[in-house]
Amino acid sequence: MVGIFLFIRGKLRLGDANMGIFTRFFRNNRDKLADRHMSEPSNEKERPSSKKLSENVKYILDAFHQSNDLKIRVLKKGDAALLYFESLAEHEKIHEKIFAPIEMGHTEDVFHLPNAKQTNDLEEVVRTLLRGHAIYMEEGKKEISQFSVTSSFGRTPEEPQNERVVRGAHDGFVENMMTNINLVRKRVEHRDLTIKYFKLGKKTNTNVAVVYMDGIADPMIVQEIETRLHSLDSDMIHSPGHIEEFIEDKSNSPFPQMLNTERPDRVAANLVEGRVAIMAEGSPTTLIAPATFFMFYQAPDDYNMRWFTGTFVRLIRLFSFIIAVTLPAFYIAVVSFHFEVIPDELIIPVKASINEIAYPPILEALVMVIIIELIREAGIRLPAPIGQTIGIVGGLVIGDAVVRAGLVSNLMVIVVALTAIASFVVPSNELSTALRLLTFPLIILAGTIGFIGIVFGMLFIIIHLTRLQSFGVPYFAPLAPLSLVDLKDTFVRLPMYMMKLRPKDAHAVKPIALNPSREWKNRDEQNQSKQGSGGNDQPSSTDDTTK
Amino acid sequence: MTNPPQQMTQQNEQKLSQRQFFFIIVQTQIGVGVLSVPYELHSVAKQDSWISLLLGAVAIQVLLVGIWFVAKNFPHDTLFTMNDKMFTKWVGRPLSILYIFYFIGVGTLIILLFSRMISIWVLPNTPLWVMALLMVTVCMYMVGGGLLVLGRLYTMLSFLLVFLLCLIIFSTKETHIMYLFPMLETGWGKIFAGINKAIFSFFGFIVSLVIFSKVEGTNKQKLKTIVMAHWFVTLFYLFTVFASFTFFSTSELPLVPEPVLYMLKTFSLPIIARIDLFFISIWVINVATSFATYLYLSSLGLSDLFKRHSQNQWIVVVGICVFSISIYIGLDMSKIETFNKVVTYSGYIFSLTLPLIMVPVSYLRKKKDKGGAS
Repeated sequence: MVGIFLFIRGKLRLGDANMGIFTRFFRNNRDKLADRHMSEPSNEKERPSSKKLSENVKYILDAFHQSNDLKIRVLKKGDAALLYFESLAEHEKIHEKIFAPIEMGHTEDVFHLPNAKQTNDLEEVVRTLLRGHAIYMEEGKKEISQFSVTSSFGRTPEEPQNERVVRGAHDGFVENMMTNINLVRKRVEHRDLTIKYFKLGKKTNTNVAVVYMDGIADPMIVQEIETRLHSLDSDMIHSPGHIEEFIEDKSNSPFPQMLNTERPDRVAANLVEGRVAIMAEGSPTTLIAPATFFMFYQAPDDYNMRWFTGTFVRLIRLFSFIIAVTLPAFYIAVVSFHFEVIPDELIIPVKASINEIAYPPILEALVMVIIIELIREAGIRLPAPIGQTIGIVGGLVIGDAVVRAGLVSNLMVIVVALTAIASFVVPSNELSTALRLLTFPLIILAGTIGFIGIVFGMLFIIIHLTRLQSFGVPYFAPLAPLSLVDLKDTFVRLPMYMMKLRPKDAHAVKPIALNPSREWKNRDEQNQSKQGSGGNDQPSSTDDTTK
Repeated sequence: MTNPPQQMTQQNEQKLSQRQFFFIIVQTQIGVGVLSVPYELHSVAKQDSWISLLLGAVAIQVLLVGIWFVAKNFPHDTLFTMNDKMFTKWVGRPLSILYIFYFIGVGTLIILLFSRMISIWVLPNTPLWVMALLMVTVCMYMVGGGLLVLGRLYTMLSFLLVFLLCLIIFSTKETHIMYLFPMLETGWGKIFAGINKAIFSFFGFIVSLVIFSKVEGTNKQKLKTIVMAHWFVTLFYLFTVFASFTFFSTSELPLVPEPVLYMLKTFSLPIIARIDLFFISIWVINVATSFATYLYLSSLGLSDLFKRHSQNQWIVVVGICVFSISIYIGLDMSKIETFNKVVTYSGYIFSLTLPLIMVPVSYLRKKKDKGGAS
């Protein structure tokens, strides 16, 4: 370390106070074309800098409560000082770009660095220091120069662990918001892509970005999101998941009302559909609003497959929803109330399996479902090899032993295992957890009043889904309200060229997403019927007529 | 792009679409009755009662035009505020209260018939209060979302009707058209008497009068929707009646109070042995939708009457009322029958007679208003 630590106090001459009004006037004039920064222009307080170097430094030091990682380097034999956070700034940059020229005597060169900015406001200096800037001040000058020398450590954009795809883009968001926005902007290269910054969290000052396509996204929804973000008044905001609970419509609902994703392609696609993304510094997760129930069943993979396969996979996923929620309940209802539903051939095996179990089916089911949850929760945070061991011990050993011990029936193990698998089919982790939670009330209802209980339970869930809204958009669209056109991308996945309209639930201002794109097909047919001079590749049908 | 706040408020008062209106009427009419309609009809005019059903449908069709005529004179009112305007406050208010009682009565009847059916067919040992409580709470939650949520929900749940139809179609493979003959054996007198029973099964159309002003579209479109919904219901009933009349002979039918279920019970699929249990499970949802409509209507009436905008507290009040009345009456057959008679006969007054009286009154009132204005 070469730095000289100094507390400069009372060493410098008196500054003249009369200049204050004049310089302020002057500066106001100049602000017509100001630099734009992350922080929104808000009513943050100002504090004009003084001519005395010592006063300025003292102010800054006090502002940071003498924090030890704030470095002060005294230059020019005490006539100038360079301040920066050694924890935020990059040493090499400082050394190369600032320190060296000043020591060499070329002070003026430093001010012409492209990332240099002058200010007279000490409060602003405090804020920029926190952003990782270096501050250069000179004795007898009010001007303070700021240099952006932020160092950043970031992962490379790798594919998110929880949203893998077979085909398609393999990059993902990282903790650095600028990288994330970069990934989105690269995908949506259009001037309408609008990004608005917010500072949330009084103590953490987290940068939050609202990203949307102006002219496609419903301005009302954008405004609603902004209003809700503005009304958020908390000391700490650390991730979108944190923000979600503050701005969602109904927090006492098991269903997630905003889509969480770490995939830039997914965000880009949703932006173009007319939805709004919310990103936060320090977290790779992006929120997408407004969300609907069926969005959680769409995976980026669907659009890279042939549409037959895509549709098939969609249907499998939606089927998994029904299995995950109702299968244990259905089984319990059948064995404890409606045995007559089982066909004759199956009655003996089923009866044989459950006859020797001491506990009622509902208890069996609850125990098994809880065991599965235990295994899952135990395995989730352990390193992969141990996690696997847990899976084997939990799944195979307990599953087998529990049946042999006669505590739980064979069939129940099958049912619960199937349910667990089905619940993991959902591409979204949030919804999958919600589904597993919903199993419990249904098991209890089925165990007390059988089929009728399941019907009431399901009806209740459906009513809840219908009543739910995400930023003023019905959550269960396009089923309720029914929109037949929008079923094209819900239960099925029709070919891309048929998705002419954006989904209605996004409230897009511009509904048409694509114009007829397969005109060449008509042209080919026309050519065939005309039996034109074959072989020539004519680019359009107009050429045919001129010929 | 209009200014945002305005649109926000509009969303709260968003009107029903024609399709939602259609399904609200359909789902209200198709309810508890489905299972017993063939039996009830058969008890009067034997195998000819499908003719009564058709004649009844035509009669109701005439009435629907009348209802439409009344409603179209009051484009911003529900039935309850209409009463005030047509019959003055002194008569209108009590009339509205009577209507609310009627709706509560129908709701209670639905709960009772539903619970009785469940206790006969599925859960013989489950006490009434469990079924009543479940139905009332679920429907209170449903109605709490407002009319728009009801519209959306009913539209979505209507695909279950297709499912019910499919189950019935499945059972038609053993039908005998012969059972419908000889036609007109009982004579026209009996057939006309059967109209009486047929009209019962259509009660519920009154909902179109109450929520008419909450639907978007021109009066003509609305009339079209009402008529279409009516004939959809008629066809649905006709289909059930035909299926059960051709499956069971005339001498068998008086023995089976729920012919559709008995019919399904005889079949079994390779995976499911008892289809009737599935039918009844889906039917529960149809019952819930009809009950929810009556719950909505009575709570709407109460909030209109007391000029309170929040309907939710009235939903709770009505829910508790219905629950306590149904517990009071209990699952006693004779009591339910008496109650059934009371409600159906008051249906004559509230669904048939009063709307017919309203036709000339609303016309005169409108004419008078116009005269007064000019």
